[in-house]
Order: sequence, then C-alpha cells, then structure tokens
Amino acid sequence: MARVARATASRPGLPHPGALATPRSDNAVDAFVKRFTGSGGEVARADPELPPGEWLARFLRGLEPQVTGVALAPDVPPELRPRLQEAAGAHASAGISLAWGAAADTGSLVLPSTGTRAVQLLPPVHVVWLPAGRVFARLDDALLELGAGLPAAVGLHSGPSKSADIGRTVVTGVHGPGRCIAVLS
Amino acid sequence: MHTRIRDYPSRSSEIIRDDPGVRDAVTGATIAFDQKRLQGYAEVDADAWRRWAEGVKSHTLTHLDRYLAEAETQLEANGAEVHWAADAAEAREIVMSLAARHSVKSVVKGKSMVAEEIDLNPALEAAGIEVYETDLGEYILQLLEEEPSHILGPAIHKSLQQVQELFADRLGSEPGGDPDTLARAARRVLRDAFIQADMGITGGNFLVAETGTVALIENEGNIRLTTSLPRVHVAVVGIEKLLPRMADLSGFLQLTARAATGQPIGCFVSLVQGPASHPDDDGPEAVHVVLVDNGRTDVLAHEHAWEALRCLRCGACLNACPVYRQTGGHAYGYVYSGPIGSVLDPGLLGLHEAMPLPFASSLCGACEDACPVRIPIPEMLLEWRREAQEEGLTPWKERAALKGLASVATRPGLYRLAGRIGSRLGATGVARGLPMLGEWAADRALPQPSRRTFRELWRKGIE
Amino acid sequence: MRVALFVTCLADHYFAEAAADTVRLLRHLGCEVAFPADQTCCGQPAYNAGRLGEARRMAEHTLGVFAGAVGEPGDPAASDAPAAPDGPAATDAVVLPSGSCATMVKKFYPRLLAGGRDTAPPTALADRTFDLAEFIVHRLGVTELGSGLAGRRVAVHQGCHALRELRLETEPAVLLEGAGAEVVPWEAQEECCGFGGLFSVKMTAVSAAMADRKLDTLPEVDWVVSGDGGCVLHLDGRNRARGTGVEFVHLATALWRGVAGDARAAEGSDVAAVRDAAEAARPLEAR
Repeated sequence: MARVARATASRPGLPHPGALATPRSDNAVDAFVKRFTGSGGEVARADPELPPGEWLARFLRGLEPQVTGVALAPDVPPELRPRLQEAAGAHASAGISLAWGAAADTGSLVLPSTGTRAVQLLPPVHVVWLPAGRVFARLDDALLELGAGLPAAVGLHSGPSKSADIGRTVVTGVHGPGRCIAVLS
Repeated sequence: MHTRIRDYPSRSSEIIRDDPGVRDAVTGATIAFDQKRLQGYAEVDADAWRRWAEGVKSHTLTHLDRYLAEAETQLEANGAEVHWAADAAEAREIVMSLAARHSVKSVVKGKSMVAEEIDLNPALEAAGIEVYETDLGEYILQLLEEEPSHILGPAIHKSLQQVQELFADRLGSEPGGDPDTLARAARRVLRDAFIQADMGITGGNFLVAETGTVALIENEGNIRLTTSLPRVHVAVVGIEKLLPRMADLSGFLQLTARAATGQPIGCFVSLVQGPASHPDDDGPEAVHVVLVDNGRTDVLAHEHAWEALRCLRCGACLNACPVYRQTGGHAYGYVYSGPIGSVLDPGLLGLHEAMPLPFASSLCGACEDACPVRIPIPEMLLEWRREAQEEGLTPWKERAALKGLASVATRPGLYRLAGRIGSRLGATGVARGLPMLGEWAADRALPQPSRRTFRELWRKGIE
Repeated sequence: MRVALFVTCLADHYFAEAAADTVRLLRHLGCEVAFPADQTCCGQPAYNAGRLGEARRMAEHTLGVFAGAVGEPGDPAASDAPAAPDGPAATDAVVLPSGSCATMVKKFYPRLLAGGRDTAPPTALADRTFDLAEFIVHRLGVTELGSGLAGRRVAVHQGCHALRELRLETEPAVLLEGAGAEVVPWEAQEECCGFGGLFSVKMTAVSAAMADRKLDTLPEVDWVVSGDGGCVLHLDGRNRARGTGVEFVHLATALWRGVAGDARAAEGSDVAAVRDAAEAARPLEAR
C-alpha cells in the first residue's frame, strides 16, 4: 500500500466525472422484455385468474423436454410453489427462483444468494418469478437500491448460458441453464 | 519472469508461414467480435460512455491508495479475507497456503488473466491439486497444454476441426461432432468437477471499494458456479481493478460487454461481497481476495504508461488490430498480447524485457478508436519507442540511418543531392543490398523510382 | 487561393507524376501553386521510430520553410505567384499529396514541439495545412470534378492517418465519385495495409501478411486508389511480388485523369493534359 501511495503521489488527482447519464425507458417492463428476450431469455406471463403455484405447475408440465423434478429456492413463498416432484439442484430438470428485481436497460434478473445458488445454476431450465413492480428502468437504479443491504453474493442473469468458444458457433446451456424463463406476475 | 517476447519477429513469421490456419481463425473471429462491438457501441452514446469511463478510471488510479484501503476495510467487514501480493511468487504462495489451510484437493477455475500472469496452475498441480479450467476455451487449451491467445476468446486460434479431434481423443466424443455435442461433452466432465471442487479460483473484472464487491462478467455460467459451489472462493485481482462506488459499476458492466462482444451485458454477472452468511445460502464458507501488484505500481508511477492501467481486459483492441489478426496472441510471448500488451508489458516487465513489442505496430490507430476507456495506445507506443531509443535498445543501423536522414533533411542542398543519388541507386537495384531494404524486398517487389523527380519536373515546368 | 505544395519525399522520388498531377489539379481548381524549394522530409520516419530529437529538427526545418518561403530565389518556375514578400501571408494553404505527412504536420508537430501529448496547442502551420482530398472538399468546397472517370471501377485504400487522425472518412470516395468513378465497396477498405514505415522493415512478415489481407479481399476493380504513397509502395510491391495484377493509382493522378478526360471531351485539344494523364495512369511498373 505504501508503494501504491508513492506511485499515486507522482501526479495530481483527477476528479470523478459523476454519474453516467443513461436514458430511462418509459415502460420498464416492456423494455425489460425486449432486452431479455433479445439476449435469448424467455418471458412468460402468469395467468392472474389462477393461483400462482397452480399456474406454474401447469406451465412446467407444458415444457419440453418433460420436467421430472424441480428444485425450489427456499425463499420462494408457499403460494408460488408448484406441487411437483422436488429434487436437489444437481438432479432437477428445472430450478424455481424468486427474483429480487430486474433491470430493464440490461435485461437482467437480479438474484440474491439468499435464494440458494444451486437452484439458479445447476438445472438445465431456470424459471424465475418476477413481480412486475420490481422491474427497474436501469441496472444502476437496481444496484443502488440493493446496495444498502447487499447479500453475500448477487447474480445478474440476462439470458441463457452460452459460449462461442468452439468454431465460433453459439451454443447454449454450456455450464449454467440453457433456458432462462422470467415469469412476470 | 521468463517470457518469449524477444522472439516476436521470428515467431510471428513462423506462425504466418507454417500455421496459416491460425491467421484464418484469428482474423475471422476478431473481425466478427469487432463488428459486434461496433453494433454494441452504435446502440448507445458510446463517445460519452467512453469519456465517462476514462474519467472514472483515471480518477480511481490517481487515488488508488485511498480506494484500496476502503476496499480492504469493506471486504473484511463483509467477512472476506484480503491478501496483498507484491509479485507473482508471493501471489502463488498466498494461494498455495490457502489451499493447504482449507485442505484443498481439487480446484475449479474461471478464466483469469492474472492467474495466467502469476503462473498459478503449474504451482497448484505441483502440489498434487487437481485443476480444472472451466471456461470452455480455457478448458480446450488446458487439454492441449497451450496458453490463451486472446483475453476474451482464449482459443479463438483453434478451428472446429481441431476441437473435434481433441475431444474425440480425450473425452471420447464422437468424431466430427457439432459444437453443441462437443460443448455437452465438456459440460459432463466439468459439471462433476464443479460439484467435487473444494476451491474456486477466479479473477475479477472490478472491485468496488464502497461495498467490497468483486464483480465478474461471463457468458457460460462457469464463473457463477466457480464462485458458488466450492467451499472456498479465491479471487485473484490486480490492484488496478478498483472502482470507487456501486454507482459506477452498472456503466462499466455494460461498457465492458459492449466493447468485448457488443452485448448489453454479460449473460451472467457475479457480484461477490463475502462468504455465505444467510442460512439458506449454499455459497462458499470462505472468500479470499488476493490483490496483486506484480509490476503495477511501477506502471502507475511511470510518466506515460500509467494510463494502460485503465484497461478493462475486454479485448476490443485485439479485435480491432490488423497486426494481432495475422498471428493471434502467441507470437507476442506474454499473457497480455496485442495493442494493450505492447503498451502494458513494457511497464509490467521493464522495457528491456518487452522489446520489441513497442515496435510491433503500424500505428494505425484502430485500437484507440475501439478502446472503451480511451487508452491512447499509439501515442503510448511512441513514448515507449522514444525510451527504447534513449536507452539504446534499438539496432545501431536504424539509429544511424535516422540520424543521417535528419542531417540530410535539415540541409536542403544536401537533401536534393542525396535524392538524385538515391533515385539512381534505386533504379539500378542496388537498394536490394542495403541493410534494411533488403528484408523489405524479400516479400515485395522493390518500388521503381520515378524517371524524373518531382523537383526536376517542376523545374522543367508542369503543364 | 495561393497554395504551397509540400510534395513529401516519397512523392518527390517515387510519385513524381502524381505530384505533378496534384499541381495540375490545384491549378485547374483555380489555385496558384508555389513550391518552396528548401522543403525536405517532414520527419515522420524519425518520429515514428521514437527519435524525437531528429524529428524535432526536421519539423523545425519544415516550419521554417513553410512559414514564408515561396520559391527558390532566381528560379522563375518556382512559383506561380508573384515574388511575394516572405512571411506567413505568402500562401493561404500548404497542401500535401499524402494524408500521413499531412497528419505529421497537423497533428504530430504540435505534440512534438510541445514535448508532450494530447494538450499541445496547434502550430500556425497546422491550421493551414491540408491533405489534398481534405483541401479540395473542405477548403475549396469542391466535390464535382466532371465525369472523366465514368465507367471506371475503383476501390479506395484509406490511409490510417488520414482516416483516424484527420477523420477523412469519405472525402477520397466523394471526390472519385465526383469525377464519375464507381467506388466499389471493399471489405478491408479501412484496414491498415501494413506499411507503417519502419514497421514494414522491422516486422516484415506481419507487414506482408497485412498487405495480403487487403489484396485477398479486393473486389473486381480497374484501379486501387489511395492518397498515400507509402501505402501504395507497400501494397503495390506486394501486389507485384505475388502477381495479383491489380493497378494502383495515386488519388491525385486518378482525379486529374478524371478532370483531363473531361477537358479532352470538352476541348479536344488539351494534348499536354491527355499525355500527362496517360503517363500517370500507367502502372508503376511500366514507368
């Protein structure tokens, strides 16, 4: 640290330029959907007529390939939990998480570590409950609100796992989930 | 530090001559990256973003001691341990002692240039620890025992066919499998590695001083897994990676992704504050942040080179660089290749060690236009060239020739005379025998001087 | 408009006809052209090599020459202008048939003479110095040069300094189209050819590979046109060594060819112009 202090002492301090002004969309939910799907994410809208857990169970049963076991994050409230065969993260074919929120400008789901990381990462399909009121216009806004009570870790998920490391061809589901589905409720 | 930088001229020639597939693969990949960057920049007010990012980074670097102290305090408050490494050897020792302390038998790694810089894998392996590179490109190179050739796409110099052959041989995948099949084969091996690993080792794209947050950007999800599944997470981070506030992070996450691949943000971003503390969190029980100097304070103190520390490691300058495209990164002989390597390596390693990298550029300026933090790479190359000349690190023939040029060019009469003689010499092909032109002429037809110089035409009268 | 021509060493010795075409073109566009005889090299070879002391000496020499001198004493052909009193007002502009050397004077002299980067104030010469295409489009406000190049398919190689330092992104193509040519898109149009002065000597294999990338992506054209002689020497040298067989033409020559072609059509008598244009349009090899 003393060496760093000596090195920085050799020139005058430059000022911080302040905040980066980036535009805020008028309709954050629409902007989120556009950006998230643009990055390969999928969006479903929960049917308000159905109890959420039941809607989700039907939705999961409709997925191809067949969902055989779901991993549920502990912070998913009881009314959102589908009555389906549960499985540990490593063996489940879908993981169900609750988003803390989302950012429209980057199309990112904000997932705190309180929701069990294995559920967010190991199953091939990741289904994330996203209350529409929790979509922030900008990632900056979301991070600043989160900043006060940051958990040990936060994941920003903005689409499925992908790589173009082999032959410059994009493949999905390399390590993390190959499908990332935001359920707007 | 042993590097192969000095062999750049011969290695670059060999790659171009003997391994033309590298040039094809690298040119194709970098042009594709570069076009995506241009699209990514076009969607936002890129000039304003880049100026802002330059400003934040320069501010941070000129107050680096203060922000490092703040980051250390915050990380410790979050329950993470902070370690300081003055050089590569110290950094390796710190990681090795952490591995011993946590009884580590198996390590998964996320792509980290600093880990390459400090030569971490050989040290871990020598201690009998299993090491898995988990970035798909890095994993390919680990199987091949090769070094990364690009900051972002470490294996871009490999063709699909080369990976097919490798995976058929080493992972038993079907010959000629498509990229999807090949990726699944790697996923199977690495999924087990993730679940069994005791320690995850990553780099860090940013370290936010205000909150003690290590931020990591990726697309595959391997870094999310590396920072989440093993009992211990070690982040090896260069001391220049600081950002002052959480309010700075969003802009940098977006700008880095746009510069690197044109994406609005990486598919996955991990923000790591410390070890798991919530009862439902299955994350690591210990988080260590190793802050690596290894020449960075020398760069910081250097009159011109310090601006290279703004670098985000996005690879945009490599992608834009027509020199890099001909050979890929291996020719450069050190982990940081391409334009940024040519200005950073002399600072990190000493100019003598990094010769002739400052001369491995046509100064075309494409790198500076691409750089998200506006590092003035061409001007910095010129500064290194000036230092190289002052320290006598360039060939004496070259120095003598340029001194001669200046003597002649400041004496108009002599200049006119020399021009007339030069034209005659060129015309008779003698130039082929001259020291520097000889090599030039090996690959090119020698230019024919005009029959009469412009001066002669002018004197005669131009109609 | 009184213009001093800074011919540059490369054009003086290797593109003398292109330099003469620069004079013809400027005169055609209504300029009086002077040729200060004491001009030498702008110093860029030394500057790019990092030999700043030598570069500074050459820069100071050049600044002195163009600060006032308008011609060789006693040489009546030295200037179109009447023997004006020496001084900065003697010419309105300095024009170079080279984007790279123009950049040296406009952008690098201020840095070099201030001994630092970025913030150096421009020199008096920087403000009135122009690359040829820049001068025609922005100082003279001319983009129409007739239709003498009608039917010609050309590709434009953009020199890096003109493109990225002077930001002359469209000017050469605008002028060529303004002379009737069809400018054919070229994938590698904005990529560096690999010349880079000393670079092509020190890193000869990489430099040649960069030229190959340019040549390999070249569309079907009659000419490759560039406003930078250094790039042309290098690209054409590689072109002839490989036998790619494409014809390289300096921008000044191409534009004059366009104008002269028009003159021939209009007057049918401008023998000298047609002869010069024909000479200029011959491949380098044949001269």
